[in-house]
Amino acid sequence: MKKFWALFFFFWPVVAIWSCWVAPARGWWFPTEAMSPLGERIDGLFYLILGIVTVVFIGTQFALGYVLWQSAVKGDDEKAEFSHGSHSLELIWTVVPSFVLVFIALYQMDVWAEFRVQSFYPNQTQEDGPRLELTARQFEWRVRYPEPGTELKNQPQPGDLYAVNEMHVATGRPVKFNLRTDDVQHAFFAPELRVKQDAVAGLIIPVWFEIPKAGDYDVVCAELCGWGHYKMRATIVAEPQRQVDEYLSNLQSEQNFDGVVTVDDEDE
Amino acid sequence: MATVSPAIESHSDDHAQGHDHHEIGFIQKYVFSTDHKVIGVQFLATTLIMLMAGGALALAVRWQLAFPWQTMPIVGKLFAGEGGQISPEFYTMLFTMHASVMIFLVIIPILAGAFGNFLIPLQIGADDMAFPVLNMLSYWFMWPAMFFFFASFVVGGVTAGPAAGWTSYPLLSALTAAAPGSGAAQTYWLLGLTFVGVSSMMGSINYMTTIINMRAPGMTLFRMPLTIWSMFITAILQAFALPVLTAAGFMLLADRTMGTCFFVPAGIIVNNAAPTVGGGQPLLWQHLFWFYSHPAVYIMLLPAMGMVSDMLSCMCRKPVFGYKPMVYSMSAIAGLGFIVWGHHMFTSGMNPALGMTFMTSTMMIALPSAIKTFNWIGTIWGGNVRFNSVMLNCSGFVAMFIVGGLSGIFMAAVPVDIYFHDTYFIVAHFHYVLFGSTLFGVFAAITFWFPKMFGRMMNDTVAKWHFVLSFIGFNGAFFPMHLLGIVGMPRRYADPYLHPYLEHLLPMNQFITCSAILMGFAQILLLGNFAYSIFFGKKCGRNPWGANGLEWSAPSPPGHGNFDVPPVCYRGPYEYSSPEAEALGQDFILQTEPPPDMKKTAETESAEATA
Amino acid sequence: MLVQMNRHIATLIVAALIVSAAGCGESLNSSFVYSEQTESLMREAQKGFPAEGEVKALLGARQLIDERFGDPQSLKAWSKLPVDFGGVTGRVVETPDSSIAIKELILEFDTDVVVEEGTPLSIQFVTGSAAKGAGGPTVVEIESWSAEKGKASLSAAMSPEAAPVAGDVVVLDGGGVLQHGRGLYMRHCSHCHGTSGDGNGPTAQYLVPRPRDYRQGVFKFTSTNDQAKISRDDLHRVLKNGIPGTYMPSFVPMLNEDDKHAVVEYVRFLAMRGEFEKKIGVELSPDFSKAAVTARIEGGESTDEIVESLREFLAEDMADSLEFVSDDLASAWTTADTEDAVIIPDISRVPDTPESRRLGRELYLSKGINCADCHGIAGKGDGPQTTIFEKNPVTQQLYDTPGLHDVWDNVNQPRNLTRGIYRGGRRPIDLFRRIHAGIKGSRMPSFKIVPHEQIWHIVNYVLSIPFEVEPGHAPVVNASAEATPQASL
Repeated sequence: MKKFWALFFFFWPVVAIWSCWVAPARGWWFPTEAMSPLGERIDGLFYLILGIVTVVFIGTQFALGYVLWQSAVKGDDEKAEFSHGSHSLELIWTVVPSFVLVFIALYQMDVWAEFRVQSFYPNQTQEDGPRLELTARQFEWRVRYPEPGTELKNQPQPGDLYAVNEMHVATGRPVKFNLRTDDVQHAFFAPELRVKQDAVAGLIIPVWFEIPKAGDYDVVCAELCGWGHYKMRATIVAEPQRQVDEYLSNLQSEQNFDGVVTVDDEDE
Repeated sequence: MATVSPAIESHSDDHAQGHDHHEIGFIQKYVFSTDHKVIGVQFLATTLIMLMAGGALALAVRWQLAFPWQTMPIVGKLFAGEGGQISPEFYTMLFTMHASVMIFLVIIPILAGAFGNFLIPLQIGADDMAFPVLNMLSYWFMWPAMFFFFASFVVGGVTAGPAAGWTSYPLLSALTAAAPGSGAAQTYWLLGLTFVGVSSMMGSINYMTTIINMRAPGMTLFRMPLTIWSMFITAILQAFALPVLTAAGFMLLADRTMGTCFFVPAGIIVNNAAPTVGGGQPLLWQHLFWFYSHPAVYIMLLPAMGMVSDMLSCMCRKPVFGYKPMVYSMSAIAGLGFIVWGHHMFTSGMNPALGMTFMTSTMMIALPSAIKTFNWIGTIWGGNVRFNSVMLNCSGFVAMFIVGGLSGIFMAAVPVDIYFHDTYFIVAHFHYVLFGSTLFGVFAAITFWFPKMFGRMMNDTVAKWHFVLSFIGFNGAFFPMHLLGIVGMPRRYADPYLHPYLEHLLPMNQFITCSAILMGFAQILLLGNFAYSIFFGKKCGRNPWGANGLEWSAPSPPGHGNFDVPPVCYRGPYEYSSPEAEALGQDFILQTEPPPDMKKTAETESAEATA
Repeated sequence: MLVQMNRHIATLIVAALIVSAAGCGESLNSSFVYSEQTESLMREAQKGFPAEGEVKALLGARQLIDERFGDPQSLKAWSKLPVDFGGVTGRVVETPDSSIAIKELILEFDTDVVVEEGTPLSIQFVTGSAAKGAGGPTVVEIESWSAEKGKASLSAAMSPEAAPVAGDVVVLDGGGVLQHGRGLYMRHCSHCHGTSGDGNGPTAQYLVPRPRDYRQGVFKFTSTNDQAKISRDDLHRVLKNGIPGTYMPSFVPMLNEDDKHAVVEYVRFLAMRGEFEKKIGVELSPDFSKAAVTARIEGGESTDEIVESLREFLAEDMADSLEFVSDDLASAWTTADTEDAVIIPDISRVPDTPESRRLGRELYLSKGINCADCHGIAGKGDGPQTTIFEKNPVTQQLYDTPGLHDVWDNVNQPRNLTRGIYRGGRRPIDLFRRIHAGIKGSRMPSFKIVPHEQIWHIVNYVLSIPFEVEPGHAPVVNASAEATPQASL
């Protein structure tokens, strides 16, 4: 029975590792590979940490299993070793992990800085300014574009264009936008881009991402915002700048639609 | 050497004279008792019931995730919205209350309240707490807390209640209109929180005073069992962190009821209510909340760590590996615990430069945890392990703590946390820490100290079954959640399957729910074993485990005043299998056992001490 | 492998749980609730009279509704309704000798029917004697289907009385769209709008404004004229854009075009059900509501007499009433989708100049149109009408709360125009239509008599309100201020 228990503690980490091992093939892994350059670096960090953690996990779990096994095979009358510990061992397992941890901490500073510290944002975002304003509200995402040819202002302007749950951005360049909320706290989460940022009442938070590949990307809400939290789904439509412009001019003419022009213009 | 406080002297004088003479009634003895042991058991019983309540709430949450929008079995009729479904705001309330009950009414009070109360005086050789009445009040203040928490279930209607999560971020928690139906309920919830705070604060002051002033002669700081160290550090943490939460709670209460604007910016219109005035800042709440709640994570963990160290050492018949490093690392956890709160807020929009500081300090707090883990393994290493349910639960604790600690590294790394924040990865992480670690520690502790509480043993076979089923159920439920988190499934979603990238997770969630149900039903074994053993368990003597601590020199259960004679401590708590012990022909040696050369002088010394 | 095992185990456990929880209702045991009006009818008027010997059964209000609409678990497709129930239409080409029970039919469908092995199929008769069975249109299950010959073997024989003849129209697998819509509706909509579309789901009580109660058949924001119902396009638009300023969100990435179509049809179905129920109630309640019965008994009639008169009414007059009610219903909902119903302005929007806005503001304040009476001089939605006490048009009692009330008896807050949130859409045409047709069910009246040019002036003014420097004062006072570029954005 003793051996069974020792094996029990060997067995479960094996199952745990096995389940992680088969996970990617079964779709229990990142929804897609990172679709933004920054996301790729975040994934890189994730895999680095995963590697370190896996080694430690295996090491410690098997050490636990081993010491239990060792004792399980021991005879009942064999007495325990009398020891209060080992100074040098303590030193080793203090110093080594601290180096690893400091390394992990320092290694990712620049990714963080680039993601969040405004002065480290890509130059392009500084030049372009925010392209749109994304306002979260219970329970949808409202998008406000500046009138084509003008710059985005924090206050709504008469020529602004509005959309809901769909943001069109240009591919191949860093795009910055202003994140706000109309009511409670929400969080902008684009899983494929590995971007997440809370929208806080009273703050305008600039967020940026870059999407090299045209396509549709999911946006969900990642901060509890009330009963309909799970419903807040939106799409980022990434497409070449030309198509974004086209979309905006369509949006503009739709928004100014007065019902009179030729009938086929009316797409309702 | 021995620090003998005047308090204990005078008290033990009284005690020696008045001990057997005053008769007290049933109510005073078992209900409004000032005896720390009774209070401890009261805490334990209450929190175990709350554990079941919290577990039931969790199962309801899991039901919705596995079978979204389906009629709940049995209880569905009670909450029949249309078609007996869990409506979204009901779901929100369910997970809010699950977390609140589990954290504030189970984990914190079961550790500090139940075991802190029961063990502190016994393990340091005192006859009771320093402030027995305060101690009684700390238990009875749990009742208004429970009342308010459970009132918050009902005041908002059957299917709505506090709906802002246990973190209660404003504005969701500050504006009545923002979380529909949570009007009075959220206010009640805050009141409940305040009462839990008052209760904990009373306990904390009491523990600190008792541990500093009432140790038995010879019980130096470094002769204290690690349980006492951990309780001591926890008490300090609570004393420093709680006022912040209480203040924040009152501020939020004022925002809700008195129209202040600590957390509410101007001009917010929710649910077409009147626009808000004033220029508050919602992030302020997050800072204040986490300034308490991060240390609270350690409040919910350190005592379990301490108790597990005690039990491991006893069950392996071997001294704790690196006693002092254990103490230092607990102190380090406590110290660093105060400067890492920002890691809950990496994506919140606080100044990003802070993110770097918090990341570094958070990485550093992993270090003492790692040291402790290595020391536990070192303790088992070369021991003569008794594979009983206590040992299994303790090993389970270590194994689960490793997982919880390691998954924490991902979130400590800010860029990676950007992705994992508020996904199921977090849910997996903190359940591994709070359930996997703390509760397995508590299960072990219940079995271990049960003989001291009731003078009878718990059934070891049933306890082993309980461990195995809980362990399998627990890992089946929470390990896959890591993977859900990696897929990017956000927390607190009533219906994640609305999102195409999460659609394929339904079978996995059903598996998790089944595991959770298994785990939930396994707890019936615990309760049954507990209740049965109180009355029908095998009777035992003073020291059924062959342990060293002072509490094992007292009768089981200890009478009023705990010890027959005021104990004197001669050595550290973990001298298992020491040469001294061998000389006595056993593998343990009680802390009260005088060394051979002092045996003759022992009586004179104690006479001197009491003189 | 192990994962599959896990799944098996999981299923087993689930199965065990389900078995152990048997009788606790696994399915969505949701059902349509009847309106208060129906509930207020006397018992016999609700439930009808069962058949007794030779006397045929007489259906009460509840059965009349259920017969045509079913319940959420088994919806009925009443072909009279202008709802796309889904399914493939076809005709009976040939029937075997109709003197004996029919087991086989030769059918022909408008589109090719590809059937996968094992999927249950059914056909419903839309015309012919089989469509007029006692329990509504006949539905028969098809046991096997041969696509080449068009031969369908029926799983149960049809009786000779209800035998179909060549040329009868059938629908294969009818109600697919409606079923799909119902599924989506239960998942996305029902917790606010309620299973029956009564705007009374579990979440509804917390929302301001309350979710729409479809059962009056009235929807607020339409592109159709003031007398018309809402069109399918309008419902699509609401699903696409949500209703800003309310809890009605946009469903765009969540529902694709097919889904939206299905939801729209299901919502229309629910609206028609509610309206049908209401109209039946109107037929019955003057004489047979519980209150009326009490009054009649006080007036000297005996209970038996009342029951007898109800029997008479149901037997003789009800058929005509039903005919009338359903024709009316069908034509109203059909008309809404015609081009004629849509409001198209006579002229294009007049240029958005300061002058136009000034004119608009004058009209806004003018006696004839008097927007300010409700919306306030500064457009803040705080006009004098918001403080009066109104009478409930049905009960003739004063409402408890001051302000205007809509047909759902909710306080009808005039829109605050300074916020720049337009629930029915922010396009000029949307505002035009709001003014032209009013907001149905609410106290915003139709201004269709106002010349379209003037409406455009008002639209221009209203759209400029959020950007006024000093709301309520800007355009009138100072002509030179109007000329600044700032004002002519």
